[in-house]
Amino acid sequence: MSKVTLKVLTDEDIRQIHNTSLQLLQEVGIEVEYEPAVEVLKEAGMRVEGRRVFFDPAYVEKKVAEAPHDFTLYARDPKHNVHIGGDDVAYVPGYGAPFVIDAGGNRRPSTWEDYMNLLKLAHMCEEMDLSGGMLVEPNDLDDRTRYLDALYAHIRYSTKCLMGSSYGADGARDTVELLAPVFGGKDAIKEKPVVITLINTISPLKLDARQTGALMEYAKWKQAMVIASLVMAGSTGPATLAGALAVQNAEVLAGITLAQTVNPGTPVVYGSASSITDMRTGSVSIANAEAALLTASTAQLARFYGIPCRAGGGLTDSKTVDGQAGYESALMLMSPVTAGVNFILHTAGILQYWLCMSYEKFIMDAEIAGVIRRFKRSIDVNENTLALDVIKKVGPGGHFLTQIHTKRNHKTEMRKPVLSDRQSYEGWSKEKLTTEQQAARVWKKMLAEYEDPGLDEALQKHLQEYIEARKREITK
Amino acid sequence: MILEELKEAVIEGDRELVEELCQKVLDEKINPVEAVENGLIKGIEEIGRLWTDGEMFLPDVMMGADALKAGLDILGPELSKAKAAGDAKEGKGKIVIGTVKGDIHDIGKNIVAAMMTAAGYDVYDIGFDQDAAAFTNKAEEVGAQIIAASALLTTTMGEQKELVDYLKERGLRDKYKVIIGGGPTTQGWADEIGADGWAETANDAVSLCNKLLA
Ligand code: B12
Repeated sequence: MSKVTLKVLTDEDIRQIHNTSLQLLQEVGIEVEYEPAVEVLKEAGMRVEGRRVFFDPAYVEKKVAEAPHDFTLYARDPKHNVHIGGDDVAYVPGYGAPFVIDAGGNRRPSTWEDYMNLLKLAHMCEEMDLSGGMLVEPNDLDDRTRYLDALYAHIRYSTKCLMGSSYGADGARDTVELLAPVFGGKDAIKEKPVVITLINTISPLKLDARQTGALMEYAKWKQAMVIASLVMAGSTGPATLAGALAVQNAEVLAGITLAQTVNPGTPVVYGSASSITDMRTGSVSIANAEAALLTASTAQLARFYGIPCRAGGGLTDSKTVDGQAGYESALMLMSPVTAGVNFILHTAGILQYWLCMSYEKFIMDAEIAGVIRRFKRSIDVNENTLALDVIKKVGPGGHFLTQIHTKRNHKTEMRKPVLSDRQSYEGWSKEKLTTEQQAARVWKKMLAEYEDPGLDEALQKHLQEYIEARKREITK
Repeated sequence: MILEELKEAVIEGDRELVEELCQKVLDEKINPVEAVENGLIKGIEEIGRLWTDGEMFLPDVMMGADALKAGLDILGPELSKAKAAGDAKEGKGKIVIGTVKGDIHDIGKNIVAAMMTAAGYDVYDIGFDQDAAAFTNKAEEVGAQIIAASALLTTTMGEQKELVDYLKERGLRDKYKVIIGGGPTTQGWADEIGADGWAETANDAVSLCNKLLA
């Protein structure tokens, strides 16, 4: 286990939350708005009244234990395969925002052009382990079929792993149909998962038809899923964090139980986007001490179940790339990484509580994520790093700049910033760039340097034909 | 004094006490118009003031609005009689509110509904995942002046346009003010679909209604 491990709950706390969740599952149950899921759970022996499913605690514990401790997601380019679990952390770009905020703070509806730009940045950005999912909502495309364009773009223009569509069983089926030919067919991907999809529960204590439909379809193909709850403490859950966690935990356990019932061994990630309600306005607030605590305790809960974890992100309530955006995002990345979260959706780009993406913020968050990844790696202590010989050699009053030990070790020991300004005052004052202005330069350069990774022509044609056919069906 | 007690019970958000007191109003044949105007409404007005001053939080306002509604439900029949006899002032206006079809995000809608209630409107909340027909039928049924539609998804914003079009098709467009809101919506979108107004926060939503009905 990593040396850097933030803990905010005791083992006894975890057990109490666990027991409360099981009690909720058994006594209150979960409202499951998808008939096939109700059927499957009924067949498995759960008590059902209408759409309310009352879970047997022993069954939940048994099923949750069948989920893998960790797994690998396979990418088009094997160097981008990602291991999800253990001490590893995978960074994933922001997801689902309907607006972009440009440098200077002007907000506008996001477009397909933004989508493609962010996709290229995600592909180029070293800190991003996946190219992501719905990077921003392309408001200028038909809302019924835009998920198809979005999926195709990921497959075509990046070789990193991607996130699938949770737009019902149909969205899941389309995702699998598009990916299977790229990865050697459906049997091949059943062995080696190639996509991970965000499945959200509906707080409090509901599973809706669309997400649950997608869940069952992905489970059938053994593709990975993040099963996540978003409790807003104070509105969609109790104001007390322990109670909010109990609700979150019940929902996630229900989702995982369903996935493992459909297909035991399906790779799942225990997910949370839980946060608090601003009690003055009712707005969600996603970056604060309480949210950081929920994030860290989610990591502890997931570890208790032996399942990889998703929580946190480069999160902020700020509307522009300013001090608030910086300190909030740093807190909301520091907490999950140090607590042992394995999959961090929304790592880069988010402004205004998930409503907006910003290119500049994307760059700033990638920098924060890089710094924290380095922090998590901790300090290697061994003969080489203790450096006794070179200290002896330099002796009192000397310096280490001309030592081979320094030349050899600094590159791995010290992370080099991409964004942070470390110049002298003189150097900085020539242009007096703010973080936002500097970040704008970085992303523009990155975008200019993007290289098309290419994709087999015949495959492109096949995928496009599939998409065209589906679009005709859907818009008919 | 029962009027003072009614006011306090609303401010406290004590629904049961409000119900108890309103029952007493009926039993003891106290003037219901008095009970509403100088009791319940005074309470909600005080809440509005405390909220604006930053001394109250959302649960205070929403529980106050709930308590007020519970009271009005009990006094309703007597009140209608009084109204028919011309003894009571008409309310500020009737608003039908809901979240559009395909969308289950309802927190924002609930808050807006509570604020409207707190501002003295008669609010008919039809819930979430509601189509244009549901909004329209309710508005027709209760004789509303305003229809308020909330949407939180870019994929359901189209339902707000659908609502405007639906009213147009039935020749009902001029009968109602249609206002819209929710995370991804903007003034630009409201203009584009021909809605009568848009607001970004619950407070602005109330000001918007005041303006539209002025
Ligand atoms: C909480 C939440 C949920 C909860 C909802 C619980 C509930 N009972 O409402 C749950 C977890 C269930 C959920 C589900 C989903 N969600 Co959601 N959710 C949110 C979140 C985080 C906050 C919404 C909220 O309640 N805010 C607080 C309230 C007070 O704010 P508000 O609603 O905007 O309301 C205020 C104003 O807008 C205005 N207002 C609101 N209505 C009206 C109406 C009128 C007439 C007027 C004048 C004003 C007005 O006044 C209110 C008070 O100030 C948003 C992100 C965000 N920051 O908005 C995502 C978000 C809206 N969800 C999103 C998505 C994608 C989903 C899902 C599809 C699941 C998924 N894959 O993530 C499902 C959809 C389910 C469905 N069919 O509707 C996306 C939408 C992206 C898009 N396509 O547009 C968002 C933006 C998050 C993201 N970046 O991905 N979600």
